[in-house]
Amino acid sequence: MEKIILIKYGELSTKKDNINFFLTKLRDNILVALKDMNVNVSYDLGRMFIRTDADIDEVIKRVTNVFGIHEINVGYIIESNNINEIAPYVLELLKDREFKTFKVESKRSNKKIEFTSIELSKMMGAEILKNIPDIKVQVNNPDILINIEYRKDNSLVYFEKIKGLGGYPVGTLGKGLLMLSGGIDSPVAGYMTIKRGVKIEAIYFESPPHTSIEAKNKVIKLARKLAKYNNDIILHVVNFTEIQEEIYKNIPHEYLITIMRRMMYRVSAIIAGRRKAKILINGESIGQVASQTLTSMAAINEVVRIPVIRPLACFDKLDIIDIAKKIDTYETSILPFEDCCTIFVPKHPVINPDKVKCLEYEKLIPYEEMIYKAVKGHEIIKIEEKEKKEFEDLL
Amino acid sequence: MIYLDYSATTPVGFEVLDTYNRTSKDFFGNPNSLHELGVKTKNLMNSATKQIAEIFNILDSEITYTNGATESNNLALIGCALEYHKKGKHIITSKLEHPSIYAICDYLESMGFEISYVKNDEEGLVDFEDLKSLIRPDTILVSICAVNSETGVRQPLKMIRQIIKKENPETIFHSDMTQAVGKVSVNFHDVDMATFTGHKIYGPKGIGVLYKNSSVNIKPILYGSGKSNMLNPGTPPVPLIVALSKAVRLATTDIEKRERFIERLNNKVVDAISKYEGVMINKTKYSIPHILNISLRNIKGETFLHALEDYEVYVSSNTACSSGNLSTSVLAIYNDRVRASSTLRISLSHLTTTDEINKFIEYFDQIYKKLSGLHG
Repeated sequence: MEKIILIKYGELSTKKDNINFFLTKLRDNILVALKDMNVNVSYDLGRMFIRTDADIDEVIKRVTNVFGIHEINVGYIIESNNINEIAPYVLELLKDREFKTFKVESKRSNKKIEFTSIELSKMMGAEILKNIPDIKVQVNNPDILINIEYRKDNSLVYFEKIKGLGGYPVGTLGKGLLMLSGGIDSPVAGYMTIKRGVKIEAIYFESPPHTSIEAKNKVIKLARKLAKYNNDIILHVVNFTEIQEEIYKNIPHEYLITIMRRMMYRVSAIIAGRRKAKILINGESIGQVASQTLTSMAAINEVVRIPVIRPLACFDKLDIIDIAKKIDTYETSILPFEDCCTIFVPKHPVINPDKVKCLEYEKLIPYEEMIYKAVKGHEIIKIEEKEKKEFEDLL
Repeated sequence: MIYLDYSATTPVGFEVLDTYNRTSKDFFGNPNSLHELGVKTKNLMNSATKQIAEIFNILDSEITYTNGATESNNLALIGCALEYHKKGKHIITSKLEHPSIYAICDYLESMGFEISYVKNDEEGLVDFEDLKSLIRPDTILVSICAVNSETGVRQPLKMIRQIIKKENPETIFHSDMTQAVGKVSVNFHDVDMATFTGHKIYGPKGIGVLYKNSSVNIKPILYGSGKSNMLNPGTPPVPLIVALSKAVRLATTDIEKRERFIERLNNKVVDAISKYEGVMINKTKYSIPHILNISLRNIKGETFLHALEDYEVYVSSNTACSSGNLSTSVLAIYNDRVRASSTLRISLSHLTTTDEINKFIEYFDQIYKKLSGLHG
């Protein structure tokens, strides 16, 4: 009998012609998540099998963070598909489990077996009742569900189901660029996009000396949390000081935020183009702040042609916070450091900015030149999930 | 020199000292400063704290740095008394504690708190029945050390915790783990608060820790500014903290292997000196091997200590902290004043060599023969 981990795909299995592309990507992603362990991952169209001599709990913990998995089971392969030979193994596996009610569910992919699935379940059920005292069969909601699959050369037994995250394997749907601030929303928007199979890179705008190194460290920390789902993550850090100062000095203050966002969009679109990202992603949510009214969004969005995906557009703040807590970005997001969007805030930002005025005001600053400079000199940081132990030599 | 007083203090590890020096030189910034050097220093300090937290399976925020075990004990006991005095004024401790616990308890007693001393059995273990009967609704704190500093008797903290929490779930359980950490494996989750210090684990002197579970509140005993921890105001001593973290990591690596080695040395000494008529071995089945306590009939412990000193062999009589008096711990276990009046503590380390032990046995023999004729 061999202990294995069984992975079921869910939504993926509806893909027809290109399912192999999805599955090889899923396998790659699983291997990345387990890269420091000795594992073997094989698959067929129905599911994936992980064989390993490493700690099974640790493998499961890591695999539950991989998108594209519907369900995870710990299974046992028995080298027989004869019910009489399998029964002693099943009893052995049941020995350490506590339950009062049970149900056997059988599947036979080997149609040469002479019994039907229902007959197989009944026979195994009878065998279990005979050998374990004080238990009974219960069809609805049993304490334990015993799944047995009679396969071509062997059979597979498993019990508990562990729910996976669902979604698509990261990278199967191309690349996107996430506008990552230090706030609560943008990491959640990133997470939701990764879940749909999009591999993301992130872009962050810093304005030293108005923003501190701590603000940047915070964004790196947030990116690291996303790296867990994204395999790793590339962070583009753009120095925005000059642009922001010029806007502040030359443009009517009620339009500060609108123009600033337009500049951020322009920079992001250029970097997305260079990195072959097909979409921009941000954490905007309709109505949340002045720059997120529909008129504002339209006035800001018009400066780029790349599609902008806003996964949180219709989410309430409290629902966003729930997800932020679940993916462990919330505590980092609420650390109080100034970022680009919180410095130079006008008292009364315009709620319904006029596109024509935007264009007019922008003529007051040499923004194309400044954007060129900012993109050219921007810093690229590769962030892995595991923090490199920075002070290893001292500790 | 043959140093056999490792339970009094330890020599600082070479690598630990190196860490201290480099941190002092390269990370001298104030971790509360906003500039880059301050941030870098803070990051280093946080990494050091995180390492300690991971080793003991606790949260970073549950660690408060102090200047040593005595300060940790003060913060734990007085901080708890200040926080809960409205709920109750009853505190329980054992008869096998470090003198600092008694000094703090005496102070609290003078402030109107009531202190009970739980009995122990002849093996040195806390008497569970007595403990149970002492716990009352107004018992706010129980403080019992993990390992007794004089005899090495180790208490079953998990069971003690169960008894306390069953009688009164609100009672806080503190343990002075100074003599346990780095010698034997400990579980901080057995207690609500724990004390340990750097200089007993080959770390620098002047840095200790109070672990406080996040579900427990205590009041500070020092007030000042400081962002890292309200229980520990002021500028954190980053080089000491980083060096402590390194010392903790080194001391907890291979802890079981070291313990087995020390056990062999301990047995060797016991085998050799228990044959003397005037020597009593104060060792119970719960004593850890790092601490070996003996009583000398008819020879003063201090005299023997100074005689060993002539051979450059260093041990303790009673403990370094309470020299001169009766050994309270030996008295508590054996209830024998003569036995408690002249004790020697030989404390061993993984650094101790078999050769050192052989020499110690040889010198012990010479001194014993010389001195045993003079008294009695």
